[in-house]
Amino acid sequence: MIDGLLILLLFQFLGEVLIHLTGLPLPAPVVGMILLLFALMLGAPGMDKVSEAAGALIRHITLLIFPLGVGIVLQWHRYQDNALALAVSVVFGTLIALVLVTLLLKVLLRRSSHGGGGGDSHHG
Amino acid sequence: MAELLHTPLFGLLLTLASYRFAQWAYAKSNSLALFHPFIVAAIPVIIVLPLVGVPYEEYRDQTALISFLLGPATVALAWPLYRQLHTVRSVWRPLLITVVIGAALASGLAVGLAWWLGAPETVVGSLAPKSITTPIAIEVARVTNGDVSLAAGAVAITGIVGALAAGPVFRLLRVEDDRIRGFALGLVAHAIGTARAFEFSEKAGAFGGLALGLTGLLTALALPWIWPWVSSLMG
Repeated sequence: MIDGLLILLLFQFLGEVLIHLTGLPLPAPVVGMILLLFALMLGAPGMDKVSEAAGALIRHITLLIFPLGVGIVLQWHRYQDNALALAVSVVFGTLIALVLVTLLLKVLLRRSSHGGGGGDSHHG
Repeated sequence: MAELLHTPLFGLLLTLASYRFAQWAYAKSNSLALFHPFIVAAIPVIIVLPLVGVPYEEYRDQTALISFLLGPATVALAWPLYRQLHTVRSVWRPLLITVVIGAALASGLAVGLAWWLGAPETVVGSLAPKSITTPIAIEVARVTNGDVSLAAGAVAITGIVGALAAGPVFRLLRVEDDRIRGFALGLVAHAIGTARAFEFSEKAGAFGGLALGLTGLLTALALPWIWPWVSSLMG
């Protein structure tokens, strides 16, 4: 657990260092995540120790986030002028995106599974 | 005595107790999306804080330790991403195309609709990362001049809408492929969608986790570069 936490904090710190050196407009934890992904893919020793701590943090993401989320209610006076825009954007935006992404996957995966050149598929 | 309300101990106790209660309620409801821990855990906090006279800003400072862990939690996403990259080698090309188009759609629709309805830039910027997993969304919202608490709320509601709509949408579109169900859910509705995908099957869940990781990564990489341009369009 401690080893895993140490690895995660180290890679977040490396992300921070890289951003300071390069001036990239990216969040440090995201850069840390990419660096860790590379380390894992390259088979760096000891990296699998991250498993336990990573699992615990990801499993309890709701705990980490809801103290920030309750702000939407407790500071509602700041957002009530935009209630309609918020509701439409979040609800309809999500529904439309879900439908479009599902349709896109249907088309792309059907084409790729027929890609072997059989029967009724036409390459376009 | 009353000064105890103004220590981190109070905020942390309230937060952990609310979360524990929410987990219990979610299990009792058989994982009903409406009883998602995010919604239920918020309720005691929303009731207690005004009751004892602790302003939200102070509570946010009291729980800074918890919010800090969102950083390492984001780094931690490398682990499931790494584990799942191997299981989907054969279909990586259509999946990658879908992530690029889908992430742009999910963010673009949210931004476009809010802007069209006249929301100010802070609100629009908070909605841009609404389809990606919270720890990354928080970081991206900072880049798009959004408000982290509004962004966190928008992310959670997006996840819940996606999880609730998944059943009817997939039935309507006649989708029975668990790769599609999982990937679409993870892409549009991040962690909450992925949890819903696991209810379809293990395979759907794995594709959900992969989509969640890739969408978060791509959005976090692209938005900071694209945002100044979007922002100038909104003028």
